[in-house]
Amino acid sequence: MTDIVRNTQAASTATTASTATTAANTVAAIVPSPFSVVLRWMSRRWQHFILAPLVLLWLSPMIWIVLTSLKTKVEVFDPDAGILPAVLNFANYPATLAVAPFGMYLVNSILVTGSILIAQLVTITLAAYAFARLEFPLKRFLFTLFLLQVMFPIYAIFLTNFVTLRELGLINTLPAMIVPFVASGYGTFMLRQAFRQVPSELSDAARLDGCGHLAILWHVYLPLVQPTLVAFGIISVVTHWNDYMWPLLVTNSDSVRTLPIGLGLLAKSDSGADWTRLMAGTTLVVSPLLLVFVIFQRRFIDSFMHTGVK
Amino acid sequence: MSHRFATVWRKEVFLAYALLLPSLIFLAAFTYWPILRSFWFSLHDVALGDPRIFWLGAENYLRLLDDGLFWKVLGNTAFYTLTTIPLSIIVALLLAVAMDSKLRGMAIYRSAFFYPVMIPSVAAGMVWVFLYAPGYGPINEALNFLGLPRLDWLYDSKWALPAIILMSIWKYSGYFMLILLAALKLVPSDLYEAARLDGVGPVSRLLHITVPLISPTLYFVIVIGLLHSYQIFDYVYVMTQGGPADSTNVLTFYIYQNGFQYQDIGYASTIANTLLIFVLGLIGLVALTLGRRVHYMGER
Repeated sequence: MTDIVRNTQAASTATTASTATTAANTVAAIVPSPFSVVLRWMSRRWQHFILAPLVLLWLSPMIWIVLTSLKTKVEVFDPDAGILPAVLNFANYPATLAVAPFGMYLVNSILVTGSILIAQLVTITLAAYAFARLEFPLKRFLFTLFLLQVMFPIYAIFLTNFVTLRELGLINTLPAMIVPFVASGYGTFMLRQAFRQVPSELSDAARLDGCGHLAILWHVYLPLVQPTLVAFGIISVVTHWNDYMWPLLVTNSDSVRTLPIGLGLLAKSDSGADWTRLMAGTTLVVSPLLLVFVIFQRRFIDSFMHTGVK
Repeated sequence: MSHRFATVWRKEVFLAYALLLPSLIFLAAFTYWPILRSFWFSLHDVALGDPRIFWLGAENYLRLLDDGLFWKVLGNTAFYTLTTIPLSIIVALLLAVAMDSKLRGMAIYRSAFFYPVMIPSVAAGMVWVFLYAPGYGPINEALNFLGLPRLDWLYDSKWALPAIILMSIWKYSGYFMLILLAALKLVPSDLYEAARLDGVGPVSRLLHITVPLISPTLYFVIVIGLLHSYQIFDYVYVMTQGGPADSTNVLTFYIYQNGFQYQDIGYASTIANTLLIFVLGLIGLVALTLGRRVHYMGER
């Protein structure tokens, strides 16, 4: 109702904001029929009528996860039980934590995702600087090799990578989940574009002051491309935090498993019957990243909005 | 003088290669070496965990041509890719157009459509197994409520792949919407205004103004869609294991089955090579057909 008032006020300059009459009176004073006001408001805000139900639809799986995690086993299969849990039942959470070492999975996830991120930031910074600012033979060919990596899906080469890691004796270790992702063609490309936008006067000035390439890279370039580094970092973390297939193939004991693998195992051991416990586990696995996303929403959205790919 | 220049240049070349070295080592070891090796494997009989290797020549490829299941799997993969990408992009475009205005609650809408990207594929797959459950799943309850027949979804060979496609649209269209939204912001609003004054309806405004102007971004989104479509492995693994009756078996899963379940690395590599060719072919096709017709606005 206050919305209608505000909109009609904005539309008509005749009404001043100081009109201290009731909402109904204000509306009646400007437009004779309240019905047409509603219609006009609806036509100007038509998007809400389409988007709001869709948003509900999009959110429903997440709502369903949380609601189910608070139900009892009986309720899940009872057709007359309704959507909401009768009593909020938090017992599923400790039960989930008791059957699987989620703490250890969490530590492994942090170690793997963190190591990949740090290693990638080092390799892409060095390579991107070479491609952006140095001249050397085979430059175009090497750059193509980097770009093509983006197109080759890990899903097409995982088999041979598995064989290689096995020969190196790295199967069922944390490094096995890290090494295939250390070089990033996409990150190198993103950062090269950012480096090229740094005005060359800046690096020329630094060089006159006696700085070498590495000093220029560290003191001039890196501070200026921070937004790109953050954007790449967010995408990298989301990708590898959620990765399922590769950690699934190269791990076979709890001491190295990551959160998604732990969740998949929980599903297998429950053979799909214990949905309440499974959904409690899902809530636990999903929430760290979703929480960070909600807090740093704008950063996340901007990263994905203006960049893309893995 | 020229001698000094040559020394400086040589120093720069040396530095460049030194900077590239860390990336190149890992690129070589985990991207290019596996591709070459996979081709080598495909010409041999190789078993997982067995160092012995036997020359077969083209036999694996001939076997592939004769493998009825392979063709079915290839068809499933093509069907999944060619329906999921266009459908998600259409949904994403409509969402983006509806949101391309100063709308109250914009931040909430954006996040609500985008959050599925943040959810691990294994968690998403599991929840949708639950949502699709024939007996007690909420989707069937909703269909029932609307007076529609209940479906067996993941247990029905006709509906299992469409069910995974629906889930994929939920998972990815919010991502595509974000990228399209950024592009829509760059379309000058006076173009719409002029068209509106000329009596052009909303549908033709969308088709004749919006779509051509954001075509570079649409093209970009199609490529991203392709790259993300491989993730179907995770969904198939979690939701159906390729079943029922191989109706959801796709190339990536078939590689896994042959390599890890049947331990036949040679044959699995042969399938992996066809996946590579399939992917490169699709990207080439997109580049040739759409890439040429893309309308570039200004410099970009």
